[in-house]
Amino acid sequence: MKCEKCGINEATTHIRSITNGVIREYNLCSGCAMEKGYTSNHNSLTGMLSSLFGEFLTTSASVDTKKCPVCSATFNDIAKSGKAGCTECYSTFREELLPYLKRVHGSTKHIGHVPNNAPIMVVKQQDTVDSLRMELNRLVREEKYEEAAIIRDKIKKLEGKENE
Amino acid sequence: MSSWYMKPNSEADIVTSTRIRLARNIKGIPFPSGMTDEQKKELKEKIKAVITESNTPFSKKLKYIDMANVPEIEIKAMVERHTISPEFVINPQGKAIILSEDESISIMIGEEDHIRIQVILGGLCLEEAYDIASNIDDMLHSALHFAFDSNLGYLTECPTNLGTGLRASLMLHLPALEGSGEIRSLSDTVNKIGFTVRGIYGEGSKSLASLYQVSNQVTLGLSEKNAIENLKIIATQLIEKEKALRESFEKLKLEDTVYRALGTLKYSRVLSSNEMMNLISRIKLGISMGILSTDILPMKLFVENQPYMLMKKHGEISPQERDSYRASDIREAFN
Ligand SMILES: [Zn+2]
Ligand SMILES: [Zn+2]
Repeated sequence: MKCEKCGINEATTHIRSITNGVIREYNLCSGCAMEKGYTSNHNSLTGMLSSLFGEFLTTSASVDTKKCPVCSATFNDIAKSGKAGCTECYSTFREELLPYLKRVHGSTKHIGHVPNNAPIMVVKQQDTVDSLRMELNRLVREEKYEEAAIIRDKIKKLEGKENE
Repeated sequence: MSSWYMKPNSEADIVTSTRIRLARNIKGIPFPSGMTDEQKKELKEKIKAVITESNTPFSKKLKYIDMANVPEIEIKAMVERHTISPEFVINPQGKAIILSEDESISIMIGEEDHIRIQVILGGLCLEEAYDIASNIDDMLHSALHFAFDSNLGYLTECPTNLGTGLRASLMLHLPALEGSGEIRSLSDTVNKIGFTVRGIYGEGSKSLASLYQVSNQVTLGLSEKNAIENLKIIATQLIEKEKALRESFEKLKLEDTVYRALGTLKYSRVLSSNEMMNLISRIKLGISMGILSTDILPMKLFVENQPYMLMKKHGEISPQERDSYRASDIREAFN
């Protein structure tokens, strides 16, 4: 799809906006998007991502034979749309995706909330126990004892696993 | 709790609202954009069951709504009051929402991700909003087992949301920074450190009503707590700069601007949506600066006089009629 403003470049930024209740869609190249002021929103990040993928596509076509077992997306599909087809795509194309995640987020390692019963690694557990302790202290200070009890159980559970 | 726009201006002065959004997905099925109608139906039923079957006092306060049964006007009015995202409007058939009565909690099913938990509160309350969202997350996770990877965190359709799946946003009223032009360079700076500033009404760089949204952009390699803390630091700096600039306003000029806005709102017979937003923005500034003392909730007027909110109240009226209803509703509020 060509950019609808300049008509020259490929449209990489897709903007959907609601103004006065009317939904408008724009398909712009990154240059025109920037001019219109869409420099820093989520949509242009997606656009940036697919252009990053695009760079990669020209250099390797061989990965294209691999398909996600759940949604049957190829890496080509993901690169074109800038979006994964299902959660399984991230295991299927992990190696291919990592360089791009690094460029978008500056990291490839999740730090933060870990759900109950998630398979976690020992290194991660240490982090979590520490952060849970801080959380526990906060809750106790705020006299939120019920919530504190839940956190305390989480810590016990994690520490139990570590000692195995 | 009450809707974000019902908060008194004194508690939602420069930061008008706080929004927390968590993106979550379920293993084994495509993301919504690739789902069949049957899969969408199954997903809706599954999540509906979680809410209706969990008999906690909290879940009892939530209501499940199939978007296929919501009239178009109401759907668009929901966007105007920020209950749902603009993306959620398209193809409502496959979508559903779980709402708290005041709409401070909305769980969108079938948006870009399978589930998007949104909490929106008036004023600056990032921790409170995050805690609510996180509790809902835990409650849903125990029944649905969201897709989580020990390295990549929560898995989302768009790789830009991977990790925490958290988007924390603050809506700021920045008339002084906008007027001086500083907002542009500030937003460039903020952008470089993984946050974005953008005008939320109006298109692109042309902001209406001097309302800006500041959000985190990085979700991988940064904890929720850190993302929220950093956002708060950025917002605090913007607030301080805005306040300092406001102090440098020439008093007479400022009063004139505020009272002219008040005069127009009190007496006009036709009021477009854009004009209304810009005038209310000045009223809001006038209240904040102690020029006007009034019980009026500026953001409430702002939201309730959006096009579809007006149609919800007055029926299917033409755009011309809308502008005249808007003028008369606002006249009533101010007189
Ligand atoms: Zn262009
Ligand atoms: Zn897949």
